[in-house]
Amino acid sequence: MNCEQREKTALYVDGEMEAAAQQAFAGHLESCAECSASVLEQQELKKAVRVAGKKFSAPPELYAAVHRELRPKASGRSLWRWAMAPLAVLVLSLVTYLVLPRRVDPMMSGLVNQHLTTLASSNPVDIADSNLHVVKPWFQGRVPFTFNMPELAGTSFKLIGGKQVFVNQRPGAQLLYLAGQHKVSIFIFQAADRGPETRSPSWNHDLSFTVGSWTAGGRECYLVTDGNQNEAGKLATMFQEANRS
Amino acid sequence: MAAAVIPRGNVSGLENNEFEKLAVPLLDGLYNFACWLCGDRDEARDLVQETLLKALRAFSSFRQGTNFRAWMFRILRNTFLTSRTGLERRNTQQEDEQTFAEAAVSAETPELALIRRADTELVQAAIAQLAPAWQEVVLLAEVEEMKYKEIAEALDVPIGTVMSRLARARQQIKAYIVATLSEKKVVGIKR
Repeated sequence: MNCEQREKTALYVDGEMEAAAQQAFAGHLESCAECSASVLEQQELKKAVRVAGKKFSAPPELYAAVHRELRPKASGRSLWRWAMAPLAVLVLSLVTYLVLPRRVDPMMSGLVNQHLTTLASSNPVDIADSNLHVVKPWFQGRVPFTFNMPELAGTSFKLIGGKQVFVNQRPGAQLLYLAGQHKVSIFIFQAADRGPETRSPSWNHDLSFTVGSWTAGGRECYLVTDGNQNEAGKLATMFQEANRS
Repeated sequence: MAAAVIPRGNVSGLENNEFEKLAVPLLDGLYNFACWLCGDRDEARDLVQETLLKALRAFSSFRQGTNFRAWMFRILRNTFLTSRTGLERRNTQQEDEQTFAEAAVSAETPELALIRRADTELVQAAIAQLAPAWQEVVLLAEVEEMKYKEIAEALDVPIGTVMSRLARARQQIKAYIVATLSEKKVVGIKR
């Protein structure tokens, strides 16, 4: 087999054809097994290289350095003003903490709701597989970031699957695990701001659920379960390790 | 990502702001590209900073209508090529242009199965073993999702060269994955 249109496959997968030619070639693909196999293979390779090639994220200190370099030098007076800023923030946060009633973070309640919806659903996940090498690639093109998943061999955790979610209008990945009798959801989002690249899990029990949050490799991660923090903490740590860049 | 076209500013404060607005979203991509080029994170960080300073200085002469992203990657690459690491790498660069059609990958389906089995580490190893000329073209095309024309601007080569290098790079990545997973070099590779 040697289709004369074969050399167009790269142009097609790269989206480099004119609209009419693209449409005509799509028609050709329906009848040509050789070209369609080639297109499929090239698309898979593109996807794999896109994920693997995005290996490094700019560290926060680079952002800070660039920001410093691009801003005009501060004058003496404004330097004094900047020096006072942390103090003002401290006083303000203290007042806020003492005066205002405690409110649950809307992100946290959104995640707990999402976890409950998942547990109640007859189709809790969109991709059901215990193999992380099946579940992870499924998210390619579904969420605007990549992440790593820990190997579970030798642990008490079992992967159930995953689904794409939106919480507070933010696209994210939800992974569902089984830890003993308890289901555990891990949520991953692109970090909203340039905070610390890595932050250890902190825990919250305000909503009768164990909710952990941490950052790793520029990703914002959350864990929700009705199980205990000890067991959940192990999974959170494994996730953090897997995403340390 | 759509190509950004910049209006030229003539007040330096405004220009700085305009530049920052355009350049900061590119930092991640520039840093990733720099890490692959240099093979060292500290060096990559310095390279990105130097690139930004050079670009800022040249921003007032930036040609209206030119693609800003391609321009930034071009400055980064030129800065790298004149650095010590860049000169060393350039000396070992293999030039081997093939025609586009010749380099097109073959369609055997067992290879598709192998590509699907390749994990991120293996694909990263496949990218890492590419000669610089193939590596940069494939990173700009797949990771930065640049069009051929944009890559040609960033690398200062004709579009035909972009196409042939890209085809060749993909062929080499595929060959590496296939060779590694189909028994020969199984040592140290998962699955």
